[in-house]
Amino acid sequence: MSKNQVRLVDTDIHERVQYQDILKYLDEPFKHYIENCHWIQEKHMPYTQPTVAGVDRADAVVPDGRPPATDLAFMQEQLLDDLDHEYGILTSALDPSPSSMHGWYEMATALASAYNDWQIDNWLEKDERLYGSVHINANDREGAVKEIERVGSHPKMVQVLLPIDDNMWGDPYYHPIYEACEKHNLMIGMHHNEPPVYYGKWPRYFIEWHTLIPTAHMKIITNMVFNGVFDKFPNLGLMMIEGGFTWVPHLMWKMDQQYRDLRHEVPWLKRKPSQIFKEQIRVTTQPAEELTRQEFESVVEQMGSDDILCFSTDYPHWDYDSPTRALPNMDPELKRKIFADNAKSFYPKLPNSKEGN
Amino acid sequence: MREQVVCKTTDLEPGEMLASYFGKQNVLICRTSDGEFYAFRNQCTHQGAPLDKGMVCGATTEESTPGDYHYCRKGEIIRCPWHGREFDIKNEGRMLANPDKKLPGFKLRIEDDEVIVYK
Ligand code: FES
Repeated sequence: MSKNQVRLVDTDIHERVQYQDILKYLDEPFKHYIENCHWIQEKHMPYTQPTVAGVDRADAVVPDGRPPATDLAFMQEQLLDDLDHEYGILTSALDPSPSSMHGWYEMATALASAYNDWQIDNWLEKDERLYGSVHINANDREGAVKEIERVGSHPKMVQVLLPIDDNMWGDPYYHPIYEACEKHNLMIGMHHNEPPVYYGKWPRYFIEWHTLIPTAHMKIITNMVFNGVFDKFPNLGLMMIEGGFTWVPHLMWKMDQQYRDLRHEVPWLKRKPSQIFKEQIRVTTQPAEELTRQEFESVVEQMGSDDILCFSTDYPHWDYDSPTRALPNMDPELKRKIFADNAKSFYPKLPNSKEGN
Repeated sequence: MREQVVCKTTDLEPGEMLASYFGKQNVLICRTSDGEFYAFRNQCTHQGAPLDKGMVCGATTEESTPGDYHYCRKGEIIRCPWHGREFDIKNEGRMLANPDKKLPGFKLRIEDDEVIVYK
């Protein structure tokens, strides 16, 4: 990162909780269900783990043997200090992922609150570079709004996290959540969980599922745009996390063309979908395909905006992107935007953002 | 000629690897299951991960057919600790999925119980 002296704003860092560490933040009887009845988050994947240390970088295991990203000191040493991060946005390991639970919504709501308190105490208040994501159980809409009211004004909470799986978050049922986000200057961060539905069931191999993760991101953006979320909440922004970015031009063109044909069905749209995208949707870069400079700059040009991309490492996951190796060399001004300024402009609560802090 | 003892033969069992230094360069010493030693630069050609934090293992091979795995080469393949790319220790460190790419290697010889890397 020495080149051009851009200090990184890393838009995707997965801190991880071990269930025993959130027990003290949980009320009874929910604590009892974990402590004595061994509740764990439902998991579905039928596959082998992708690489030698499961879903993580093998060198990110904490030296005392704890799982990657469970320890702030080691994260500081391996990531934040080593790469000289200016800011990092915590996005959790989606375990627990309260909004993904297919039932037992009171448990999910309690878990979201416990997680937020744990995150604030152990990460946000311990390292000034780290900013956080509010966890909610969106399927308990009132509970979710209450949680946003409870912790959303914390100065270091910059977004509300929603998983991409089998929920359609654009549905008007969820709109009170976006109203609460707007009120607290929070953006929405979306990250895929298991299983975003591609085939109605799992494909046979992990490589098929992992190759097509961008389609899950395209699906939920399409849903949010055509359900009118962005016109109804003009100050809301959506950060799409960990789906890569080369699909962006395709989706913009496709949505615009469909809108010209089928506007009659979604008359609440006031702008072209690509315009909505440029103004209110941002995309983290990881996992980046291996592009040449020419290919990369051409994709950005096809987006019609250099405000959209925000660099992310995805630490400590196995498909981590190195800030010095993952993207090709590029124009210094573009580099500054992608590695720092775009994220600062997007999150109203990050210092130095356009709105000022 | 520059040369340096990087470890003892007894430091590595077959199927293991370790990181050492050759001058200022971080090198990876591997011992395949037949007991042979090899040395590569300890940095993945993809995004630079430290290879010694990965694993020496086997691989599913080209003889596999759809739905029917063929697995062998135990102790001959390095898997990177980050994105999991596989490198063939006995074939000049070539990447299994793209044999045009290989890990830069070092010359190596054994004298008594010393593993020596040289240029
Ligand atoms: S750094 Fe080794 S596979 Fe990517």
